[in-house]
Amino acid sequence: MIGPTDTTRLDQLLRRCVHCGLCLPHCATYLASGDETLSPRGRLLLLGEVLAGRLPPDAPAVAQAFDRCLGCLACSAVCPSGISAELLACAREIGRRADRWRRFALANLLDRRPVLHIVRRVTAWARAVLARLGGVEWRARLAAAPRPVAGLARLVGAVPTSPHRDRDLVSLLDHLTGGVLADAAPRSTVRVAPAAPAAGLRLVWFRGCADAALLPGTAARLRELLAACGCALVDPPGQVCCGAIASHSGRPARKRRLRARNLAALRAPLAACDCLVVAAAGCGLELSDDSAAFGDKVRDAAVVLDQILPAALGSLSLRIAVHEPCHLRHGLGAAAALRRVLARIDGVEVLEAAEVDVCCGSAGVYALRHRELSRAMGRRKAAMLAATGCDLVVTTSPGCLGQIADGLAFVAPSLPIVPLSDLLWYAWFHGARVVPRKLLLDT
Amino acid sequence: MAARDLIRELRRAIGAAAVRDDPASTTVYARDASHQVSGRPACVALPATVDDLGRVVAVCARDGRPFVVRGGGTGLAGGALPSGGAVVIATSRLTRLGEVDAEWRHVRVEPGVFNAAVSRKAAAYGLCFAPDPSSQAAATIGGNIATNAGGPHCLKVGVTSQHVRRVEWFDPEGRRWASGRGCALDRGPDLRGLFCGSEGTLGVICNADLELCPLPESTATLLAEFPRLRDAAAAVIDLARARIEPQACEIIDQTMLEAVAEAFAFPLATDVEAVMICELAGAAGAVDDAAARAGHALRAAGARRVEVGRDTASRERLWQCRKQAFGAVGRLSPSYISQDVVVPLEALPELVGDIEAIRRDQRVTIATAWHAGDGNLHPGIHFDDRDPDAAARARQVADAISLRAIALGGSCTGEHGIGLEKRHLIGRQLDRTALRLMQGIKDLCDPAGICNPGKVLPPPGDGTAAQPVPVRVDFRWESLTVTAPADVPLAELQSEAMTRGYWIPVGAAYRGRVAAPGLGGDLTVGAMIDAGTTGPSLLGSLRPTDAILALWAESGDGEVFRAGTATLKDVAGYDLVRLLVGSGGMLAKPLAASLRLRPLPAAVGIWSWPDVPPFFPSACRREFMGVLRRHEHPALAVRSPHLDGSLLWVLAAGYGRGGDLDRLQADLETWSEDHGLARPHGGRDAFAAVGRASLLAGLPTWAVAAPDWTLLTRRETLPDWPRPRRLIWQAQPEMLWMPEAPAEEPVGWIADNVFRDGKLQWPPPPPPSVPYRLLAGLKRLFDPHLRLPCPGWLQAILAEAAR
Repeated sequence: MIGPTDTTRLDQLLRRCVHCGLCLPHCATYLASGDETLSPRGRLLLLGEVLAGRLPPDAPAVAQAFDRCLGCLACSAVCPSGISAELLACAREIGRRADRWRRFALANLLDRRPVLHIVRRVTAWARAVLARLGGVEWRARLAAAPRPVAGLARLVGAVPTSPHRDRDLVSLLDHLTGGVLADAAPRSTVRVAPAAPAAGLRLVWFRGCADAALLPGTAARLRELLAACGCALVDPPGQVCCGAIASHSGRPARKRRLRARNLAALRAPLAACDCLVVAAAGCGLELSDDSAAFGDKVRDAAVVLDQILPAALGSLSLRIAVHEPCHLRHGLGAAAALRRVLARIDGVEVLEAAEVDVCCGSAGVYALRHRELSRAMGRRKAAMLAATGCDLVVTTSPGCLGQIADGLAFVAPSLPIVPLSDLLWYAWFHGARVVPRKLLLDT
Repeated sequence: MAARDLIRELRRAIGAAAVRDDPASTTVYARDASHQVSGRPACVALPATVDDLGRVVAVCARDGRPFVVRGGGTGLAGGALPSGGAVVIATSRLTRLGEVDAEWRHVRVEPGVFNAAVSRKAAAYGLCFAPDPSSQAAATIGGNIATNAGGPHCLKVGVTSQHVRRVEWFDPEGRRWASGRGCALDRGPDLRGLFCGSEGTLGVICNADLELCPLPESTATLLAEFPRLRDAAAAVIDLARARIEPQACEIIDQTMLEAVAEAFAFPLATDVEAVMICELAGAAGAVDDAAARAGHALRAAGARRVEVGRDTASRERLWQCRKQAFGAVGRLSPSYISQDVVVPLEALPELVGDIEAIRRDQRVTIATAWHAGDGNLHPGIHFDDRDPDAAARARQVADAISLRAIALGGSCTGEHGIGLEKRHLIGRQLDRTALRLMQGIKDLCDPAGICNPGKVLPPPGDGTAAQPVPVRVDFRWESLTVTAPADVPLAELQSEAMTRGYWIPVGAAYRGRVAAPGLGGDLTVGAMIDAGTTGPSLLGSLRPTDAILALWAESGDGEVFRAGTATLKDVAGYDLVRLLVGSGGMLAKPLAASLRLRPLPAAVGIWSWPDVPPFFPSACRREFMGVLRRHEHPALAVRSPHLDGSLLWVLAAGYGRGGDLDRLQADLETWSEDHGLARPHGGRDAFAAVGRASLLAGLPTWAVAAPDWTLLTRRETLPDWPRPRRLIWQAQPEMLWMPEAPAEEPVGWIADNVFRDGKLQWPPPPPPSVPYRLLAGLKRLFDPHLRLPCPGWLQAILAEAAR
């Protein structure tokens, strides 16, 4: 609830909004809908009316406008008055009350790892069936099918997925980069290992839920990469979801329980280690916001990799478009680490997409609660990425991965998207095949 | 119709989801970026296609329901605010951006495209859309056209109306029209020019053809700190005096500096009264030279420190601070009134002093950012809107500043528009006849009064008395303007300006024995206004319509009025200047005009080839055209048949100490070699030489002055040059001139026989997409008794209507 002192403070913040509109071109919901009630400026105007009592907060259009805010923080990065983040959080809080029962259901289910394991298995099976029904481009083809089939195809298509077996990833990336290796000369059968890794970094591995359950292959490969770089990894049992879904769904009790369980599992190991490595930016943000619990030892995997990977990470010829998850870019401010890490792979050209700071529309369970709008945002993002003419898209968040994969299936079906850590793993273990002439002579 | 029925009709026309009448939508769309409040709309329509846009307008027309079009809602004058019960038509879904035609420098866009999106797309081709208001990331093209938007970089390249070739619109009955063919020079009453700056009150723009500019090769940005604000204001004039033409020249005052520094953590000095950002652009060598001279001039004017920045990252950061300044000032106080006054440059220091005095007397906070190079200031008067006294006082202060600016010969709005906010001031600036004519235009375009009602025009009867028509030539060197009666030959003005190192950038003119159009361009000012051109322009960088700032004219019934203001920017009311220039005197007779002055080019290059083939194969021709267009200043080619071949000349202006002309010479030599031609003879001369017969003596007589001229402008694809013929090709804006009146139109070109026997001819009748009824109405409005000249096709329409 918003008390009287809060109202005064919020009112003061609201007054600093000069309605300049500079937030509009960065808001994914505005760009996808063209509707100014779904823009930061519009939401702040409505918030002002609600706080002044001139509009009821539960009027459907008002609650919907608030509820459809993604919380991506892109607007606060450009707001000259620097005010929107806190105000929009308040607006979302008000809008939340409009959609209670569905939120309850999702929040109670989707942050449990066992449920997600089941989701993954079922989805994998369903994917195989749908691929048989509709061919390779089943997502696009089945979108026009009768409702139940189309709905199922959409649901299945939205679940994030990455190659489970290492050899599937290798064959995908070999296919993309293969042409260059054939041309490069001379080739050696001896694999030149990257330079000696930095020794001694002790990491606590945060399992997460989506990562561990939906992308187990990727998680395993990331651990292999970290170990190959000389890190000692500790994976304490008893970890649960970071609580982001519960906290954004307005379920503080659940969030407290999850936090307590994580503290019990992680506190002791973390005291003996350098940092807590988190693969998904959303989880990283949620954990690092809680400085009392984990201190500032939370590190996004991209940041850790930036720290420990050698300066040269093999050679691949690829044109890559990067999607920066909102929580990484605006929340943790670590987008530069992504680029630096990619810059270590010789031959990789990073192409800049338009609207790089605009959210893909995944935003946790948002994609399930506001399907149409989320789909429009996902397709728009996919179109921007595809327009760069790249060979591959990389990102670091499972939610973004699923959302953009879904968009690409309609906009540019032949363009793959993989997690960043998978690309790095490939570069490390499979990319260093070309031996420069100079090195050959030296050995 | 009741609102409920209206909404049902609209939903039937464009779909239920695209029409909103819920309280959230009506609240949000009742506001824009200004701090004004107006009425509550009945509903909001969000058409997804241009056809849907037309359907919405048609439904509103059937109902007689007022409507207002809204783009990004970034306007500062309240132009997008709906009246109570109106329909807000949002263009936010009309975001299709066409393909960029890099050769013709053109792109077609829908009205909801962001301004910055056009420049982003064009950047891949080395081009940009020049108008760059601070709001460009969120402002839409439709809004830019409606307010004739400026921006810091418009100082050198002009405001929006100079970069729009053609607009299409829905009239307030839902019918779709176009403004013309979109050629480089579309003669006749300029409907396109009329729409630019009409603030959405004459029709609903649904498509625009934009002209793109090449990105400069090299840019240097100077940051100068001025301990005294008056020195900064005077420095603007000093730069003009030193004949430096910045790409942009901005000033930020101390109050705003503090807000900006806090908002963006940018290391701007906050202990000085003003900081100036001056950007110079062009070829690399020329920019270094100009930056050095500018730094010198600014230090001499009183700058404490001048820093020159060249790297892109720091330049972008600096511009971000300037452009987002208007958002950062929210930290100063809850509300503010943002003004947009413009005065002649020579009056800048005085206006600055007056604003200071007002600020002290009234004890208000004023934060100002300026497009200093244009004399355009944006004082923001801050107040706390919870205090009703403070609000009223702020309004008084704002009006006092605007009236002071008008008294100094300026305008109350340079680029934001009149909107809602300044309706009570426009009557203090424009005369009664001009306002009556503008009201007449409004009534013609919108008889039912539903197209954004309550904006721009004041109540009838408002306006000042007629102002005296200038009878003497008056050069204002410090303001970079010259005012002259219509019967003064252009050549006379040019030769006087050239003695001081300036010129009117429509092309040189000199007094030949035969007063005829041609490269000599010997017309009177009035003849140039009627024609809209001087014939082939000798290295002018502007069309006459872009060079004329104000125009005194006499309507058909002898009423004298003034259009425009003698300042470098002005959007008060409809653009009668552009409407009249090029209209052949059919609407009003020009009596006097104020024209822009620009620094004279430093040098002219003239090269000739004694013997070239009678026609060029297309690859050769395209390369040649490419060479001339790459040269960043005006260039032209003259070709004359000679025996079995042709003679060829190239003339080009140069501004840098020769560097740019050297490069052009090298490129021409390379081109000649590549295509088996002899090397050209010739070289450089001081530009002032074009005013003397000697320079032009090398050219054929027909090029210098001829009684007949036909202008050929091409349709969209690149056709062959007509052959073998005498012709003059101007590179930018592209025009092809032939000294004859051809019997038939060459393939791929549109022919306009501008002069015959030395007399101005009417342009060809406009295509049927242009509203003939509107043109006839304009004729009757300006000239009810048909005393002024009239083209045959229009006479026929008027006779038809009379019957």
